[in-house]
Amino acid sequence: MSAVLTETRAPQTAPRMALRYVRHGQREIAIAVPVGSVRRIDLPDRETKSAFVTAVLKARCEDGEELELFGQPVKDISGNARAKLRAQVGALSPIVGLINNLNAWENISLPAAYHGKPSLAEVAAITQEVLDTFGIEPRAYLGRVPDELGKLERKIAAFARLMIAGPELAIIESLDDGLSRAECARVAGFEQEYRRRHPGGTLIFVDIREE
Amino acid sequence: MLRAVREIEGGIKLSLNAAGRLPMLRKPPILESFLRQVYFTGVTASTGVVLRASALGVLIIAITMDVLDADVDMAVKILLLVVFREIGPLAAAVVVILRSGTAMSAEMAMMRISGQTRALRYLNINLYDYLVVPRVAGVMVATTALTFYVQALAVAGGLLFSPFIIEASFMELASRLFELFSPIDFYYSIIKSLLFGFAIAACCCYHGLNPPDLTQNAVPKVVTRAVTQCAMLVLTINAVFAYIVFGILFFGLVKATV
Repeated sequence: MSAVLTETRAPQTAPRMALRYVRHGQREIAIAVPVGSVRRIDLPDRETKSAFVTAVLKARCEDGEELELFGQPVKDISGNARAKLRAQVGALSPIVGLINNLNAWENISLPAAYHGKPSLAEVAAITQEVLDTFGIEPRAYLGRVPDELGKLERKIAAFARLMIAGPELAIIESLDDGLSRAECARVAGFEQEYRRRHPGGTLIFVDIREE
Repeated sequence: MLRAVREIEGGIKLSLNAAGRLPMLRKPPILESFLRQVYFTGVTASTGVVLRASALGVLIIAITMDVLDADVDMAVKILLLVVFREIGPLAAAVVVILRSGTAMSAEMAMMRISGQTRALRYLNINLYDYLVVPRVAGVMVATTALTFYVQALAVAGGLLFSPFIIEASFMELASRLFELFSPIDFYYSIIKSLLFGFAIAACCCYHGLNPPDLTQNAVPKVVTRAVTQCAMLVLTINAVFAYIVFGILFFGLVKATV
């Protein structure tokens, strides 16, 4: 097994799995994450990490992969069932980056404005709370486009968007990537903030294991 | 050959999809994107077009007078038939292709290459709704508005400056123009410019979303291909539409006014 589980904090009453993922091949990967837990997963390389995150976000697995989300195997399920599963999953990942021609506020509020829920008032309230938590002044921050934001600021915008979507299963990929030591200390608050908002949610931190 | 067939098929699919999803414009982010497109394609283009459009009318009138030794009647007919019906919509379409077509195809290719379209999909946002529909609708509206703008300026410029070239007063030219003008000229311009706008936006969106590869090098290729095909499409639509309207559909009916 190449996946290294460095930390597991599953509550005792976690009857079912939020995610079960198996990847066959030279480097066998097997991951199982109970509902409501916080788990850190280190994968052997970038390609494996990308395949894992993509499979979960798409609720679809390729040949040589097996994936179950909330106890439901994703192979051969209907389009509607897949869409329902996808709606329960979210990620803070380079795969789901910010849109370059929208400012931070437009990026944060885009999914809610498009899907019509939650309301923009709720989006504004959640955004304000998230920015307050990380000590960011909204007036200067929200009007800037991603190219004018630092790495930490971009991650915070993506995190705020994730909190608004409120997925039952959230994946945070390479959280520390490109951040300074001080910034890493600040993003460590993501876990606490997610837990505060979604006590029953499942949170997975994915990274590449340093050899 | 196969690529051309695939492009035609893809373009038609995209066009039908975009046309079918026009009601999505009611959604706030899509409406906002639509208004932004109208602003960038129509409003910002209009300032630079002013002088060029009026110069166009004057130039055509001056050349015609000189070469054909035309009288008032001929000058006004040319102003209406050439400038209003054909050159006005074509000039607006050229401005839209050069200003917005290039920007749109490059922007969408960059979004595709940098994974932003993939991000939208993961956010469960339909690419047609968010990227294609507002651009197609916005460019259609802006092209129509620009067409009227160019037509008005070119015709007004022609009428204002012609008295300096031929022996005719402004009032003489204007009254003859209003005599010849028929509502069909107006509807013809609207429908044609809407078609131009639709074709330009759909073509640019198609090429932007389907770059030949996912590297930065694909962007100039996408822009070149989009601009070339837009120009060809606009010329084809212009010829076919003129033939249908004045050749088959209203044959005899429209003839009376010219």
